[in-house]
Amino acid sequence: MIKLFTLKQQKKDGEQKGSQQKKASAAQLRIQKDINELNLPNTCATDFPDPNDLLNFKLIISPDEGFYRDGRFVFNFRVGSNYPHEPPKVKCATQVYHPNIDLDGNVCLNILREDWNPVLNINSIVYGLQFLFLEPNPEDPLNKEAADVLQTNRRQFENNVKKAMRGGCVGETYFECCLLK
Amino acid sequence: MSVHSPNPGLILQSKRFNGLRNILEREGPFCKDGFAASSENLEFLQTKCQVLIIGAGGLGCELLKDLALMGFGNLHVIDMDTIELSNLNRQFLFRRTDIGASKAECAARFINARVPTCRVTPHFKKIQDFDESFYQQFHLVVCGLDSIVARRWINGMLLSMLRYEEDGTIDTSSIVPMIDGGTEGFKGNARVILPGFTACIECTLDLFPPQVNYPLCTIANTPRLPEHCIEYVKIIQWEKQNPFGVPLDGDDPQHIGWIYERALERSNEFNITGVTYRLVQGVVKHIIPAVASTNAAIAAACALEVFKLATSCYDSMANYLNFNDLDGIYTYTYEAEKSENCLACSNTPQPLPIEDPNTTTLEDVIKLLCDSPRFQLKSPALTTVMKDGKRRTLYMSGVKSIEEATRKNLTQSLGELGLHDGQQLTVTDATSPSAMTLQLKYQSNEVEMV
Amino acid sequence: MSSPAPKSPELSDKSKKYDRQIRLWGEHGQTLLEAATVCLVNVTAVGCETAKGLVLPGIGGFTVADGSTVKEEDLGNNFFLDSSYLGKSKALACMQLLQELNPDVNGDYVDESADFLLANRPNFFDSFDLVIASNLNEQTLLLLAERLWELNVPLIYCRSLGMLGTIRLQIREHCIVEAHPDNRQFDLRLEHPFDALREHLDGTEVTSKVPWLLVLHKYLNVWQKQQADGTQTPRNYKEKNQLKETIREEMKADEENYEEAIKAVNTAFGAGQVPKSLKAIFEDDACEQLNKKSNVFWIMAKALKHFVIHENEGHLPLPGVLPDMTANTDSYIALQHIYRQQALQDADQVYHKCQEYLKQLALPADSIDERSVRLICKEAAGLAVIRGTRIAEEYEKSSRLLPLVEDNELQGNLTAYNFALRAYERFLSECGNIPGECIVEQDIGRLKSIAAKMLSDLGMHATISDDVLHEICRYGGAELHAVSAFIGGCAAQEVIKIITKQYKPIDNTFIYNAITTESVTLKL
Repeated sequence: MIKLFTLKQQKKDGEQKGSQQKKASAAQLRIQKDINELNLPNTCATDFPDPNDLLNFKLIISPDEGFYRDGRFVFNFRVGSNYPHEPPKVKCATQVYHPNIDLDGNVCLNILREDWNPVLNINSIVYGLQFLFLEPNPEDPLNKEAADVLQTNRRQFENNVKKAMRGGCVGETYFECCLLK
Repeated sequence: MSVHSPNPGLILQSKRFNGLRNILEREGPFCKDGFAASSENLEFLQTKCQVLIIGAGGLGCELLKDLALMGFGNLHVIDMDTIELSNLNRQFLFRRTDIGASKAECAARFINARVPTCRVTPHFKKIQDFDESFYQQFHLVVCGLDSIVARRWINGMLLSMLRYEEDGTIDTSSIVPMIDGGTEGFKGNARVILPGFTACIECTLDLFPPQVNYPLCTIANTPRLPEHCIEYVKIIQWEKQNPFGVPLDGDDPQHIGWIYERALERSNEFNITGVTYRLVQGVVKHIIPAVASTNAAIAAACALEVFKLATSCYDSMANYLNFNDLDGIYTYTYEAEKSENCLACSNTPQPLPIEDPNTTTLEDVIKLLCDSPRFQLKSPALTTVMKDGKRRTLYMSGVKSIEEATRKNLTQSLGELGLHDGQQLTVTDATSPSAMTLQLKYQSNEVEMV
Repeated sequence: MSSPAPKSPELSDKSKKYDRQIRLWGEHGQTLLEAATVCLVNVTAVGCETAKGLVLPGIGGFTVADGSTVKEEDLGNNFFLDSSYLGKSKALACMQLLQELNPDVNGDYVDESADFLLANRPNFFDSFDLVIASNLNEQTLLLLAERLWELNVPLIYCRSLGMLGTIRLQIREHCIVEAHPDNRQFDLRLEHPFDALREHLDGTEVTSKVPWLLVLHKYLNVWQKQQADGTQTPRNYKEKNQLKETIREEMKADEENYEEAIKAVNTAFGAGQVPKSLKAIFEDDACEQLNKKSNVFWIMAKALKHFVIHENEGHLPLPGVLPDMTANTDSYIALQHIYRQQALQDADQVYHKCQEYLKQLALPADSIDERSVRLICKEAAGLAVIRGTRIAEEYEKSSRLLPLVEDNELQGNLTAYNFALRAYERFLSECGNIPGECIVEQDIGRLKSIAAKMLSDLGMHATISDDVLHEICRYGGAELHAVSAFIGGCAAQEVIKIITKQYKPIDNTFIYNAITTESVTLKL
């Protein structure tokens, strides 16, 4: 082992002042890397309300195919200080009629919870979310009614999605319009 | 520094130190190379050596006792928590009458009263409340934490305190070793981190067990376990009904009671058995089982490493001990490897000479980073922490909204941007899996601040 | 507070205080701990640290035995002595400071030495559930160990000297029902489904919503039909891969339960058999020959054996624990119910056999309750019995440890430290002073000749290196607090294991070297 130090040197009393500049935390370093290397598909965009705060941002998905074509869906990302040990908290801010997203904005995506690991990054989540709009998965429902409709009557599901995106009621629930202008 | 006896010289002669003096004042066949047996070793422990203990919980209480009785005279302890009833089965410096009081203060008071040769200074604070100037006063830092965030924070702090020689090597006198202990039930680990030299917390982040998260759709629609029912109430039902008009507080018995009742209802609805009050508490508060004996063993292993490092009497452990006494008693020591690409510890600050901060623009710096053979970056992102402690994104080309917001910085000079001599910039780039720290070195001293 | 208290069963005060450990050994473990009384022989740092690890979790009571008074040199390493007790009884001092940790615990003390108690109060040790001792000379250690062996009282003997520590457990017999194995294999009986399971498996349609167990069952049947030799379960890598492929071919989308079934191929089979350790228990004399004094463990073991051999075609009673499987609620709960019902039925049969044996032995029926039988059935695969050895046996020439020790060349091995510490204790007995107390060099020679004689008396050819003996003398009897705290923490846990009859204790000697942070466990 390296000959480390002689602690007995009385260095501590006359300690020279190092730089007092605060350091980026490990979570911040990692998110800076993740963000700068985001490789977004052309249907996705990010929005940083405060460019100095890389830990809180929005992801906007505007699918160009599938049931949700022409819609515009906003997700709020909150990256905590234990990133990437813990995944970011992601909520859908747009009300959407979707089997895997409930009316409170909770999203059922495996890598946001049970299958998260520190090797994954923001890009992995973006792709996961984008995939949810291309291939809504009725097997893992969060909005059970929507999932049931998708499973039993695709045409009906498609109509419901359209209706909701235009701004209207599906069953008891009213959805705000979220079509791309 | 406090003087804790009318005559420290006399204290050192006290018979209470007979045992330690044998270890520290006699040569031995297994001692570390270069160990100088002498009375100065004990004197150093008693009068000069400053050790910081982070956490005054299960491990912290043990560490305070262990180090006080291993001859250390000056200990500091930080803990932001107060004492709870469920601490008393292992946090042995606290009594029922102490419930609600500061752990750090209560622990320090007890040790100071019981061990007259040790002076403990308590800090009823968060570790983040202190800056580098505080941490710099310590020779060694020992952690007895249950929080990964806190470990990562102190790891980052100790790494940022490293100073470098001209040739880029670490000035060894700036190293503050970190000894870290952790326990869970009958399992535990102890490790020695020499910041910059051996594997740090970030190098081995995957050694921490991942949080258990159940799939949301299972919780919402196909619960099978009592835990699924509890999580449903905690994540979904609480937010919807917000029964007390406040965020969920796992320490409020009313909140736990409400969750218990709702979870029980839900489990009955699905014919699931096993929702108990204890389970509800465990799931809501992420309770980790803990017992006095494991804490004692792990803290002792940490204390021994502190003692070895402080006195050089034996080589310190390299560098990670696993402990488990479920089946017999099992220990295994191995060398956790430093990660080449660690974002935290492979990130040596690189000096960046700047001819004139008033004429050099940010764009010039970025150009240099991309064109010079030394860096060869592709599209770097630059951030820094300003004097007021706020983070600032200087430029990032990869993200449209940030690029637009920071484009105006490109044409500004470093002086105009408020960057001072010695300021560190954090640079990430697709060409490297790690981050880089650049330290601005202004060649001319005059900076025209705007 | 204005709002009414919740009607939920909030935990009792005690249950809250001990919450973090009850999560490990359960309320029943805690009850056993609170009913136990131990004796601490000799007030040393290692002894007190062990006691601390028992007082905090709430042991019923402890009695400290030590004949000496508190001296200044005792204060440096023992947290449970302080200067206010200088010149007073050490037993009293440490009893008071230990008891102060936890008012639930009864503390007592006698200010007599172990030698005195052994010579003059022969019944003193009878009433303890366990004795913890440390820092004895060889003669006293052997006397105490023999007395406790006769009394069938377990002994934990701790050594802490300089950077070295050991724990020796002396116990005649210890039966463990709940071993809490780290990686428990689920016993699912796919290869031998019981009637209710077979009916359910055959009668349920396999969809993407059912637990993987049903998927695996279905394709196991397919696979079995492909086996010309009538193999029932895949035995090796190749066969397992075949089965996995069979499942994968039938997947339409990426159904999670199919994925889980493929993963489960590796671990789903092979449980439910009688493992070697249980076979040994079944064949043990104590199991074969029950008598009125038999431990209920053995009565239950014999009933278990009868059930396995005569009523269940060689299979263990079903534990009835189903791991979580992705599925809809109803299909999972239905399957779980089937396993639980069968487990209750199996346990019921074992319980009746137990009652039969109790009757034959003319023992009261309530000696064994249903809860205990259910537990032993659930844990059947992990039952363990430890048969200990006498400490004194290690000191006899006929010892069976010779090969063990000679195989492990004494030089540079942790075993050497155990013998060096024994030589240290013989030194104490023979010379009446501590090696290295005053002049190290002189004592190294004396310790060396004692060690050499000790080894040759045992008929061993190995020698202990001079460096090890030098290191021992360098300590001059120093007991370092941190080493004692490590050993004390471990020893306390071993005591808890023995008292709660949960988790496996060491069998039987643990050796720790704090210089290198290494440890080993030897069966001496």
